[in-house]
Amino acid sequence: MLSFRILDFFIALLYFSGALSFLLGLIYSNKKTQDRSVLITATGFGLHTIDLVLKYALGIGEVLTHSQFYISLLAWSFLLIYFFLWWKLKLKFLSITAAPMALLVFTGSLAISPATLPIPGLLQGLWFGLHIGSLFISMALLTMAFGAGMTYLHLDKKIKSKTRLGNVTRDIPSLQSFDRANHLAVIIGFPLYTVGVLSGFIWAAFTWKTIFTWDPKEVITVIIWFIFAWLFHKRLSGAWRGKKPAQMIILLFVLSLASFVGINFFTETHHSLRP
Amino acid sequence: MEQRIYLVGLNHKTADVEIREKFALSGFNPVSDGLMHKGSNISEALVLSTCNRVEITCISEKKPEEIKPNVIKVWAEYCGENPELLKEHVYWLEDLEAVRHLFSVASSLDSLVLCEPQILGQLKDAYRKSVDEKTAGVIINRLLHKSFSAAKKIRTETAVCSSAVSISYAAVELAKKIFGELHEQRAMLIGAGEMAELAALHLINSGLKEIMIANRTPERARELARKFNGHAMCMEKMLENLHRADIVISSTGSRTSIISAAQIREVLKKRKHQPMFFIDIAVPRDIDPDVNSLDNVYLYDIDDLKEVVEENLANRREEAERAGEIIVKEVDKFSDWLKSLDLNPTIVDLLNKGESIARKELKKTLRSLGPGTDETTSMAMEQLAVSLVGKLYHEPIVFLKRRSKEEGSSQKFIDLARRIFNLDEEQIPQDAHHSKKRE
Repeated sequence: MLSFRILDFFIALLYFSGALSFLLGLIYSNKKTQDRSVLITATGFGLHTIDLVLKYALGIGEVLTHSQFYISLLAWSFLLIYFFLWWKLKLKFLSITAAPMALLVFTGSLAISPATLPIPGLLQGLWFGLHIGSLFISMALLTMAFGAGMTYLHLDKKIKSKTRLGNVTRDIPSLQSFDRANHLAVIIGFPLYTVGVLSGFIWAAFTWKTIFTWDPKEVITVIIWFIFAWLFHKRLSGAWRGKKPAQMIILLFVLSLASFVGINFFTETHHSLRP
Repeated sequence: MEQRIYLVGLNHKTADVEIREKFALSGFNPVSDGLMHKGSNISEALVLSTCNRVEITCISEKKPEEIKPNVIKVWAEYCGENPELLKEHVYWLEDLEAVRHLFSVASSLDSLVLCEPQILGQLKDAYRKSVDEKTAGVIINRLLHKSFSAAKKIRTETAVCSSAVSISYAAVELAKKIFGELHEQRAMLIGAGEMAELAALHLINSGLKEIMIANRTPERARELARKFNGHAMCMEKMLENLHRADIVISSTGSRTSIISAAQIREVLKKRKHQPMFFIDIAVPRDIDPDVNSLDNVYLYDIDDLKEVVEENLANRREEAERAGEIIVKEVDKFSDWLKSLDLNPTIVDLLNKGESIARKELKKTLRSLGPGTDETTSMAMEQLAVSLVGKLYHEPIVFLKRRSKEEGSSQKFIDLARRIFNLDEEQIPQDAHHSKKRE
């Protein structure tokens, strides 16, 4: 288990240097440093993949009940989506959120003591996997779109108010590219979120014989779903573009963060990851 | 005899437009128009004639006093003007000064509008013409190639041309910040004044997809449309086509605003809220300032753009210094080459290069034989390698010596030898002479 500790440490170190060097590359508007920082983060991502696969392969069955594994998986999916968006939209810039978020969540996973989750019930593999997989991917999309949205609002304000574009702003990609990231996050993210929520309810129906338990997390999830559905509709119909979807996605991200951090760690429910 | 480079010319700094028009040299052929006749002693010539500058670069073995009056005379005669008038307006540059000047011209640092991209194309055309007319020789060839690469270097390595210092350039930069690459974007010119035309030119250079021109007088709209390969329309059709435009440049002489925020709101619905960028360069303004408060719409008027430009001007001064340093470096390199364009340095370079190759290979071989090689063997090998090089290079050297005694072919063969053996250690890109390659 010591070897895993060392591996985890290296991954965290790589994410840290990736995040830091990107920031430095941005401040000093040095393209090479920015490219290198993405390479560092990618190396961390590769190690992280190996780490997850090994943990799963070595401790099959057991590892799935460790909350640490899930949080680490969430950090991993942030980067998975980051690289997906990079490939799709050439948006290297989102490294500004991807690397620090991966670092934060990954080190967070190391910090909590390995608690065992009670995962009861039949059919848990299929429904639970679907539940976690689709929700994590949509969360990762939401996180990237959050970064894109924040940058969009910043740049939009700068251009609108005709203030001077400094060196840092000059390196930021165009407004349109951030809007495209938002579009992708909504178009892919919302269906996945729906699948995640539905599979959760179905799974709950199998295991607890009730569908809705008024658990605070379930309530906030339904609220998020409705807002998300509204945004999805407005985006698809073309009524919203640019600023409004950016603001909405930020709201959604904050709500999800609140539900994830607040409810998973500070309340006693069956969604709790508390040890 | 040593070859010298002379450059005589006039530009926007030394002559106003009337003089420049009088002494334009478009269509001038150095051979048939008497510049390079038998007794003139000019071996190579290049003529650049644009609306902002007219310049003749020539290569000769003679002293400037013998060349200058003749060049001026031929030039003035060709234009049917008085040589004395021409003399008042020209500058005369010799050797490295001429080289430096040509490098600055190519990088557009000497232009009226700093960094305007046309001059490089004009210089390339002038060079092509001189090649076609067979007035370019070894030195002009190299001089022009080096000036093109210096221009490219300055463009890529310094930001002197990247900051938005003209209003239209600033507009393009802003458009790129909003839309990214402009390949999918359409623009509309409302009013077809000179300013609008300039802005449109910049946009088209950035790869715009389509341009529409709405103007009160349809003839002018059609004229511009032909020039930019766009669509002309009358002013009445402007509003119903506005939703197709991502970038709108307005410059009409209208006394009141012609586009209101309410109209744009309708246009936005039609185009599903795709962003729009309005550039209002008209005074008084054409577009209601409230338009800027709409989501996904950005409006810049002439004062806003001027502000952006002024901020960028300060940055440029620093970059211009760096560009100057690059030119100095390139001129030095050219000067080295010019000096080497003689028989003796070429022979020395050739033998040195050969010997260095021999020694390198010798070292490799000795290393692979291991430490057990005895003194006599290694000595014999060294002798073999060095004398082999001497023998191999003997015939080319004899050839060069013979040819350099002939009239006019000396530089040609020395240059060829330097290139065959790559004595100047140049990096030749993979795609060099791509157009000439056989399939």
